[in-house]
Amino acid sequence: MSSRERASVAALTPARIERVTPPQWRAACERQAQAGGRFCGLFASDGAQGLQVNCIFTRARQDHVICTPVPSGAIDTLIDLFVAAGWDEREAHDSYGLRFDGHEPLRPLLEHPVEPGAWTVPVQGHDAYQVAVGPIHAGVIESGHFRFTVVGERILHLDLRLFYKHRGLQVAAEGRPLADGLAYAQRACAACAVTNTVAYAQACESALGLAPDHNLRRARTLLLELERLYNHLNDISAICAGVGFAPGSMAFAAFKERAQRLNQRLTGHRFLFDTVALASSTLRIGQADTRAAREELRVLDDEQRAIWRELRFAASVQDRLGDVGTLTKQDAIRLGTVGPSARAAGVRQDTRSESPRLAYGEFTPAISERATGDVAARLDMRQVELVQSFAILDELLSGNLAPGGVKNLNIGASDIGVARLESPRGETVCSVQTDGNTIWRLHLRTGSYANWPSVAYASRENLLPDFPLINKSFELCYACADR
Amino acid sequence: MFVLLKHLQHTRREIALPAPSRRGSLALRHVDAGSCNGCEHELAATANPYYDLQRHGLNLVASPRHADVLLVTGQITTRMADPLRRAYEAMPEPRLVAALGDCAIGCAVLGDPAQLTGPLEEILPVDLRIPGCPPNPRQIADALLGLIGDIKEHPTLPRASPENSNTPPANAAGLHIDTEGAKHA
Repeated sequence: MSSRERASVAALTPARIERVTPPQWRAACERQAQAGGRFCGLFASDGAQGLQVNCIFTRARQDHVICTPVPSGAIDTLIDLFVAAGWDEREAHDSYGLRFDGHEPLRPLLEHPVEPGAWTVPVQGHDAYQVAVGPIHAGVIESGHFRFTVVGERILHLDLRLFYKHRGLQVAAEGRPLADGLAYAQRACAACAVTNTVAYAQACESALGLAPDHNLRRARTLLLELERLYNHLNDISAICAGVGFAPGSMAFAAFKERAQRLNQRLTGHRFLFDTVALASSTLRIGQADTRAAREELRVLDDEQRAIWRELRFAASVQDRLGDVGTLTKQDAIRLGTVGPSARAAGVRQDTRSESPRLAYGEFTPAISERATGDVAARLDMRQVELVQSFAILDELLSGNLAPGGVKNLNIGASDIGVARLESPRGETVCSVQTDGNTIWRLHLRTGSYANWPSVAYASRENLLPDFPLINKSFELCYACADR
Repeated sequence: MFVLLKHLQHTRREIALPAPSRRGSLALRHVDAGSCNGCEHELAATANPYYDLQRHGLNLVASPRHADVLLVTGQITTRMADPLRRAYEAMPEPRLVAALGDCAIGCAVLGDPAQLTGPLEEILPVDLRIPGCPPNPRQIADALLGLIGDIKEHPTLPRASPENSNTPPANAAGLHIDTEGAKHA
């Protein structure tokens, strides 16, 4: 084995698992943070070995999982160390009855009690009143409930109540053969279908000690970028719609349609469904098709750049975007914001730069030139990333796409696999605990799940009529979070 | 701005959509009862310049109070069953219910049965089924335009009240089966 091969195998090492006792739990997690680890999610699992809780960190391109059994049903909270763990702990409580000592009040997340006091943050003051929106919204939008506390038109606080679309996909996948899990990951969300299925496949392959070959890496990277392309075009269209600028919205909706038609031609599905398999890829794209796709993408890129310039100089659009829904860099880091929304605030983190199982090569994360963390910056960020995606797609389509597979790293199997992937909305973390060849526990922490609390936070001090625009600038999936 | 408007004009000319037939209109209200967001993307796409459903008088309206048709997507979750029923009850009669996509029709449902209420047809009377995972904008457009035609041919089709829902559920083709069944009887 050459030194280069050894290095690439080292980069593919599965997550390091540290098993601790409940009293050591908090200190073990704190040590990870002190060593520079970034919190990537927390989840509980229940099985023959009893209730356990797991926390994922990443540092220096290595994933770490801290696990502890919780025989008493209660464990120390981590929210004072990692604000981002708030939703994770609330979900673990609702799904597994796990209590987190110090997390007070532990408000329900999945459960929907009728009494607003049971799930909203109390806000008191002169003239403060509540506005309830949803779960059914006015447009063609997914279902979810927003409870605004406002004074006049100014938002003081926003409580989110999602999980109206909770289908129990993760629980339903338990006990199924590993290969069946793809369908559950795919059903979580259409707009992130590739990210979620590749994340699931990589988590399984990591647990099994398998590494993707060259062709498999290229095929998956192509699919991921095709997914990002139509999503980002959609997001720019949505932000234009959010400021009532119909021409921009329609132009980018038409670009999105063209991107989805290209998906259909290349893979047989507009949302790239069923293109990802476990340990293999059947995607075969010949020279004539790659050449045609490259040409199509080149034209699409030219046209969208021309229209983007028009948007930059449309004063009625630009005037609506600045200083709206601002999320500072500090807050983005504290809240664990991911993806374009974090990069728009100046956080230079993009999981594509640490994805040795994909064909991104030496990818450098980009941040928008005005990293102001407002709607304007989030819109700019989409364009910056479109430029990257067009370039990556052009490079990948310069050769044929042939079926791929995996090679065995001969490092033995592990009973937990973790994969992190950059979805169009940010880092998605998939964890799979295996029991032989079946799923013991599947956990999907999508970019949308990570970012919803940031939407609520960024809305504070803004005008209620600007909320749809702020929401569209994050453009998160409800389905991805609810699962 | 000039470049943008010229671009849109050029796009529309290239797509060259046929002229609308002007045979009626329908106000549509969408409710996501637990979808994967695929049907929402495709339903929203029917407004893009490639399909432009509004030309045919098919408008997505903000309230069920204004709607003729309830377009339901997703496998019906326990948490959405009630809001869905209330949206239906808010609609004026006559009203129609369309199951948009395989999940709402009840095919290939995935998930924990404890979190799902069951197929749409067990909750509301379903008049139109638009299959697909997700159905593409063309299929959605064709099904809804077909519905306008069917209503013209069968003026009694819109259901006056949920009590009429005991008849077997119909789909796009089933609309005709329904009436033929009546003839044979």
